[in-house]
Amino acid sequence: MVNLTIDGKQITVSKTATIYEAAVEAGIKIPVLCYAKKLLPYGACRVCLVEVEQMKGRLIPSCTTPVTEGMVVTSISDEIRKVRKTVLEFLLVNHVIECPVCDKGGECDLQDLTYELGVNSNRFEGEKFNLPTDEVNPLIERNMNRCVLCGKCARVCDEIVGYGSYSFINRGFETKIATAFDRGLDCEFCGQCVSMCPVGAILPRPFKFKARPWQLREVDSVCGYCGNGCTVTFGVLNDKVETIRYNDKNGVNDGNLCVRGRFGYSFINSGDRLTKPLVKKGEQLVEVEWDEALKAVADGLKKAQAENGVGILSGARLTNEEFYLLKNLAKLIGTGNLDHSGGECYKGVTEGLLATLGICSSTGTFPQVEQADVVLSIRSDFYETHPVFGMVVNQTVKRNKAELFIVGDKNGKFGKLPGARTLLHKPGLEVNVLNSMSQVLIEDGLAVTEGVEGVDALKKSLAAYTPEKVEATTGVSAEEIRVAARALAGAKQSAILLAYGLPYTAQSKEIAIAAANLAILSGNIGKGESGLYLCGEKANSQGAIDCGVLPSAGGMGAQQMLEAAGQGKLSALYVVGEDPMTSFPDRSKVEKALMTADFVVVQDLFLSPTAELADVVLPAASFAEKNGTFTNAERRIQRVRPGVPSPGEAKTDYDILTLLAARLGEKVNFTGPAALFAALADEAGYTGIDYEKIGPQGIVWGGETVTVKKKMLVFVDGAKPIAGDFLLLTGSALYHSGTMSTRATGPQAVVSEAYVEFNFEDAKGLQIVDESVVSIKADGIELKLKAKVGKRLPKGVLFAPYHFSEARINSLYKGEAAISVQVSK
Amino acid sequence: MSEAVEKVEEQEIDLGPANLILDKFVNMQGALMPALQAIQESYGYIPEPTVHLTAERLNVYASQIYGVLTFYAQFHLEPRGKYIVRVCMGTACHVKGAARIADVIKNQLGVGHAETTDDLKFTAEYVACIGACGMAPVIMVNNDTFGSLTVQKVEEVIAKYRNMD
Repeated sequence: MVNLTIDGKQITVSKTATIYEAAVEAGIKIPVLCYAKKLLPYGACRVCLVEVEQMKGRLIPSCTTPVTEGMVVTSISDEIRKVRKTVLEFLLVNHVIECPVCDKGGECDLQDLTYELGVNSNRFEGEKFNLPTDEVNPLIERNMNRCVLCGKCARVCDEIVGYGSYSFINRGFETKIATAFDRGLDCEFCGQCVSMCPVGAILPRPFKFKARPWQLREVDSVCGYCGNGCTVTFGVLNDKVETIRYNDKNGVNDGNLCVRGRFGYSFINSGDRLTKPLVKKGEQLVEVEWDEALKAVADGLKKAQAENGVGILSGARLTNEEFYLLKNLAKLIGTGNLDHSGGECYKGVTEGLLATLGICSSTGTFPQVEQADVVLSIRSDFYETHPVFGMVVNQTVKRNKAELFIVGDKNGKFGKLPGARTLLHKPGLEVNVLNSMSQVLIEDGLAVTEGVEGVDALKKSLAAYTPEKVEATTGVSAEEIRVAARALAGAKQSAILLAYGLPYTAQSKEIAIAAANLAILSGNIGKGESGLYLCGEKANSQGAIDCGVLPSAGGMGAQQMLEAAGQGKLSALYVVGEDPMTSFPDRSKVEKALMTADFVVVQDLFLSPTAELADVVLPAASFAEKNGTFTNAERRIQRVRPGVPSPGEAKTDYDILTLLAARLGEKVNFTGPAALFAALADEAGYTGIDYEKIGPQGIVWGGETVTVKKKMLVFVDGAKPIAGDFLLLTGSALYHSGTMSTRATGPQAVVSEAYVEFNFEDAKGLQIVDESVVSIKADGIELKLKAKVGKRLPKGVLFAPYHFSEARINSLYKGEAAISVQVSK
Repeated sequence: MSEAVEKVEEQEIDLGPANLILDKFVNMQGALMPALQAIQESYGYIPEPTVHLTAERLNVYASQIYGVLTFYAQFHLEPRGKYIVRVCMGTACHVKGAARIADVIKNQLGVGHAETTDDLKFTAEYVACIGACGMAPVIMVNNDTFGSLTVQKVEEVIAKYRNMD
């Protein structure tokens, strides 16, 4: 610790702090433009100049100067004020004054400083630039005439996002921020630059001329897309979410968001939202009153239960409280057939981790990953499934120089990080590679075996997984496998990451077990803040598991339910917050089940392809209209707060489930989510957590690092390479999440339709270019998709995202790791 | 942004030489400048596809490379002529009529400062001083210097290079 004095105030701060940080800690305000807490110090704007007794003769930039013992700082004096004013005069020479029509007006740092320092005239004159505005993309507008060259956009894009869209170009007065070759912005559109810009140079286009910042009511909630659980702050005007506000004070994301979080809110306001219940009369779904719809559902479910039974399929975007009510409803109906998210993809957590570690969750928290020195990412490029967690890994690698290994079937953004090594394997062979890494640890005597069960059995079984043998099957070099395994064992603190979700159902349990084995043997489990992270695809995937939205003993899982319904052995299906027709593997199986079942209820925001096949459709509320809690992929329970009312007569799942329970004969009398949370706490493992005390950072159940119940090595056999000239993978595209994002204008504006991605060499051979329509055939089913050509995929591998219903990817995809397809132009 | 809307023309460039050059610089610290210089040496300028190739192979953002290329006067993003005609515009040459020399060159070649003839044979550049004030007015063509010029002499110099390959 270092002692210093600022404006006569004695302060003790960490020796790594800068003068600016020390001042912030002491509550002394120093103005800044180019400084941001999450970026490295830069010192471009010279607004934060202060006097330091020991460095007399010039003013010192407080944001880049580290504190020293005994330093005496003056943060404001006549001279400092004069110099700051001059700095602003210089900035205002070039900056166009168009505040009345600038969306930043009211929250512009330059405007505020100019006002604060009373810069009401300018002694200097100069040319204003007349650069064209970049309006090429639909989400981010750049007006470089307003730029003050603080470099925050370029820095955030590099340091945190790892994309590198911007750089300073040219020299001297001509200097400006631009993309490569000064073209329109063409990037991931996460909008981090929008959130960082201190002036109106980079603005969100969907928010243009919608409201002045002071008119907006701010409501903190949690993003409804992926399991990252980022805090989103709605900017609400007239009961409409107009924008997502920057907020770096709450939650796990430091104000970082991805394209879905920042621009994906618009589905809330979509005109396609269901506003009235629908009941099938004849062949038509017709609008009815709630009373009639609820009666139809209650009667239908009762009748069905008396016949062949009811199955309940849930999505993973309900709140914990709603999950509890859903489970309660299942009990009330008397069915054990309850499941979520297709029933396969989460088995790595509920079965894999249970078998090996005795727990059903990730072991650590996201902030711990930042301190890791070795990171192993399996299967998914986290930038696609959990983009903001991807940004954490990015910083771990770039700032803290962690070693990063990726076991994957395609290249991704992670692979471009400095020093990252991708263990690129043939599709479907993750387990083989992980097994081989475990084998290396045992063979080299690096394995941690104290207190571990099943060592000898695993050792024997892994004999077939020497790196050389695995190299022959997977294509990953033996040397790489050895290097990765040894690095993991030698780590002071490691993180092993694995994402799961509907498009990644193949071998979910096996991969998790192989990863857990590796985590145990490498000492990842039980070593300080090391952690094994299994991250669910949806906002409340972990909550669904915690709350037990799973088949009860003797009950059917999702896939069995669909099979049974298809064979007429299940009379009713109740689908809540999911569009299985699009998102589940094997569309024909889903379709058959929905067509064959006597009674189908769908509770959703939109008339999805699934809802179209229903007998009753109940209009539900979006996450922005709900009150309750989500549990994210690191077990953090966070408050979801309603920003806007639901459109028309749509109701929250909470209300619908309560009303339905009443119809089925049980008055569920909870006074609200808080009471419900108290009721579910013990069952979900949230004991001792008070709903009212869940603060801005949420509460992590089980502590920062979960104590595992056991360390049991379980052998799982790898897979055989899938034969075929072209193997089709499915998965998440960065811009989308599930099927909901296809209703949001933001993500849709960037990726509006399905595509199939090719390696450029394959494309050349097939004479395919971007936008060519190609035919993909398997099992006699043909899909026509637009092609996208790139360098991400290995030769012979294709990729198609699963979000788009009309593309019918799941008519080919039946849950396998990769599908052998024929491709023609 | 007008430039942005324009469809980016697909440039047919043989990336073979660039790849060979970059082989030497992969995984080397501070390799960007020498790599770009070598590429310019080989192609005569920095074609756009080589920027993207360099970005990929050296793991540097294309935007950053563009920043470097536009910062330094030594890099050229457009094809340049085989013969670079540097017209000295320094004080001594100015007094001795450099403007007229530049005019003659413009008349003869049809190109002004930083412009290149369509046949990619000549690029004209007006420079501040080439340090040969005793020979004013002076021009350089690649590494050869021609001093004490008159209109006629300039025409002869241009003709000489025009007749060369």
